[in-house]
Amino acid sequence: MSENELDLLEELRALAAAEPQAPSLAVEQKLLANFRARSVRRRRLVWESAVGAFAVAAAVVTLFLSGPAPKRSNAVAQAIQPAAPDIHQAIAEPQQQDSDLPQTRFAVVRTDDVASSFYPLPEAADLPAIETAMVVRVEMPASSLQFMGVPLGEDVSADPVEADVLLGQDGLARGVRLIQ
Amino acid sequence: MLSSRSIVLLALAGVCAFAQLPRHPGPPPGDFAFMRGEFGFAGKLVTGAPYSAQVSRTFTQTLADGTHIQRSSTATVARDSQGRTRNEETMSSMGRLGAANGASRTTVFIHDPVASMSYVLDSNAKTVRQTQITASQHPHGPRPNAAATGGPRAHSANAATEDLGTQVIQGVNATGKRVTHTVAAGVEGNDRAIQVVTETWYSPDLQLVVVSKTSDPRFGDSVYQLTNITRAEPDPTLFTVPSGYTLLQGGRRGSPAAQ
Repeated sequence: MSENELDLLEELRALAAAEPQAPSLAVEQKLLANFRARSVRRRRLVWESAVGAFAVAAAVVTLFLSGPAPKRSNAVAQAIQPAAPDIHQAIAEPQQQDSDLPQTRFAVVRTDDVASSFYPLPEAADLPAIETAMVVRVEMPASSLQFMGVPLGEDVSADPVEADVLLGQDGLARGVRLIQ
Repeated sequence: MLSSRSIVLLALAGVCAFAQLPRHPGPPPGDFAFMRGEFGFAGKLVTGAPYSAQVSRTFTQTLADGTHIQRSSTATVARDSQGRTRNEETMSSMGRLGAANGASRTTVFIHDPVASMSYVLDSNAKTVRQTQITASQHPHGPRPNAAATGGPRAHSANAATEDLGTQVIQGVNATGKRVTHTVAAGVEGNDRAIQVVTETWYSPDLQLVVVSKTSDPRFGDSVYQLTNITRAEPDPTLFTVPSGYTLLQGGRRGSPAAQ
């Protein structure tokens, strides 16, 4: 340790041994003023952050509700009655009248987003048998499902629902199933 | 940094925008919004009878006050000798339901029973949805009139079937059949009997219905007709996915039925 370092160490020890001294009145007032100003800025920052967060949340909710993603209604899926048969029943039934007819039967492998099997529509009962079929996914209000003849309870949600519609070659719907 | 006043105004604007939204966004009652094609398939496998044709469909409903509602749609269909089918739909309605705002959507459904795959092409988004469909074929093989047997009520006690003979329709021989199903009075709260008439013209050569008409006083009248029927082998590229399309996996949608 050099001589200068020894001198510095002695002075630090002396300073540490000395009794605390009160600051002058001017220094105290200046410190209090700075503390109060910082406290006001901190409160304003917290308040502004809260308002900002609310604005962001409102914007997110607005975008979500105005976007294409539909609100899915479990109530609608549960309201369909009775339990719907599978797709092969919906499309293969016309061909089952003659056991010698060639039959290609399909059974739906349920995926996670499928809420129900195809519900055969009443108006499809007298339509020609399906030769080629398409399944399209649509969004529609529950009232459209009722319009198609799907029996829904009175307390069904008014929210739009996603549904798969089974169409025949004539473009007419044979069955519908809801997506969850 | 934004002042607190600016942030408050921004928040109020967001709340006002939220309040302006409809409570339940979506299509109005009676309509639907087309989202996408899921998959397509053929009800039976027909080989050795290729064709291509135009499809026209018309649906007409007359309301109690005399108002007529008419919807129509078109499609282009094809089938090759292997039984692969292609259906290019311009979809704006589904029977009584019309697409919201009258929007139409062109979607191509390809069913390839050889590969047990279904493809749905979205030409706007340049995407293809691929779905594996497995099916069990009946061991007896195809027979004529398989698809012309009519709906499930064709052989019911309240249905009468009438043979309409044979006609040449759009250049192909077709046999006609009319099925009249009677809904007896009181069955559906009706004070008079309701008659539903379904007429189909079936081509034994092509093994498909070339014309069908259904008249149902409850739901309306529909006419389905194939036009410009060509029996040449279609272009093989019609049954393949064009280049430049992004593949979307649709999963496995079908399996052999238990029956």
